[in-house]
Amino acid sequence: MSRVVAIARNTFRETIRDRILGVIVLFALLMIVGSLWLASISLEQEGRMMKDFGLVAVSGFGLIVAVFVAASLVRKEVEKRTVFVLFSKPVGRGEFICGKFLGLCLTMAVVMAGMGVFLFGVSWWVAREATPALLLAVVLVYLQLVVVMAATVFFSTVTSTVLATVLGICTYFMGVLSHNVLNLTDVAQNDPVLKGVAWALFVLIPNLSAIDVRGDIVNSAAVDWAAVGAWSGYLLAYTVVVLLAATAVFRRREF
Amino acid sequence: MPILLRRLLTVALIAACLTVVVAYQVTRPVDVAADPRVFVPSPGFYQRLPESWQTTVADAYWLAVIQYYGEHVNGDKRFDSLPAMVDLVTTLNPQFAKAYFFGAFAAIDAGQTPWGYELLKRGYAENPDDWRFPFYLGFYIYNFARNSDKDVLAAQMYEQAAKLPGAPDFVSRLAAILYGKGDEKAKAVRMWFAVYAEGDEVARQRAVDELKKMLPTTAERRDALDRYGSMLSQDRYTTLQEGLMGGQK
Repeated sequence: MSRVVAIARNTFRETIRDRILGVIVLFALLMIVGSLWLASISLEQEGRMMKDFGLVAVSGFGLIVAVFVAASLVRKEVEKRTVFVLFSKPVGRGEFICGKFLGLCLTMAVVMAGMGVFLFGVSWWVAREATPALLLAVVLVYLQLVVVMAATVFFSTVTSTVLATVLGICTYFMGVLSHNVLNLTDVAQNDPVLKGVAWALFVLIPNLSAIDVRGDIVNSAAVDWAAVGAWSGYLLAYTVVVLLAATAVFRRREF
Repeated sequence: MPILLRRLLTVALIAACLTVVVAYQVTRPVDVAADPRVFVPSPGFYQRLPESWQTTVADAYWLAVIQYYGEHVNGDKRFDSLPAMVDLVTTLNPQFAKAYFFGAFAAIDAGQTPWGYELLKRGYAENPDDWRFPFYLGFYIYNFARNSDKDVLAAQMYEQAAKLPGAPDFVSRLAAILYGKGDEKAKAVRMWFAVYAEGDEVARQRAVDELKKMLPTTAERRDALDRYGSMLSQDRYTTLQEGLMGGQK
């Protein structure tokens, strides 16, 4: 366990030094400019627009950082050959993947917390409409990104950084649109192969939209937090399964 | 080709391109008349997206609706695409109450009050607990319906609104006044005050315009402010006073 913590700590230090906090500054500037602009054109709907587009920006910025960092996390160690030094010590492959992933999660937690607090502050300042639910929505975006990061780490163990990045971004969008996959079967009603493929995809893809509460937060509607909690548990379990798969693949790699 | 000639040709080509670009950029028209008929996609196009994405698309279109309205309200006053745009926003996000109210008041400018009424009815069906829908429906019926019993129909709507959570006290008083056989003009003035109390910027501007028409003299306006001013918050009272009296107390 201490080895995992040590790897996580080092990964956190390494990624946070990578000028990643600049994303928060960029986000902050975007929010300030955006809020001034929205206040002038939204016809007394500043709060609503701030929450909606703010959460979209949090997801977008978070996704870019998460996928790009996750895709290069393992590959960089292999290319720099630091992985040889590491594996000459009593460190297991599973511990390596787990430590790397936890370090990245910590980095993303800092990035998301920065953006979330800033979004909350600007929404409060502009429209007095910020509620704790807004911060919870950011936490749920973070959880979605945790799943995407796990998937990207998995892809990075089997393919190149570029392809892992592309596949990571695809995982996010497929996860958000997962309910549409079954609609593919409507296109070819009598094609069992297509139906089978659609069903397999539907089963494989994480259901990220299950914890997407942006619509309810924007409309100030009640959120079924019990259901969201249950779905969050499912997504955490999904993350563990993907990390186990990444470890299994990484164990077969020869250096 | 000699090097000198090639260089001269290159310089001439660059100079010609620069001249054309600069000449066009400097002389291009600043104000292009906005087209009242714009392409509005069908809501079905977006309805396969997750709900939260539909909300974001609706919000983005909301900004487009405001821009469209702003471009035409001070210009050609043509709002051909407004119903389709507002329908798109409200279909993608049926809980976006402000979009219904804005659409209903913009419909007056567009000369499409039947559509405005249907829009409010749809909004009420989608948001049965929001008192503002029956409130605005009552206002709409009183002002635009041609039924002989429109007072009673409007009063019934106000009664429904008064029973819903969050409705201000003046809503039930409006219902009582409409049931009575009072002065029609006084009823209408009171209703426009109610609209000013609760409406957005577009609705408030419309209320000021209508009140100015109904109350042509300063004395009448001052009297109305004294009678119905209690329906308004302090801020709204001040802005309405400025709108009606133009700085006079």
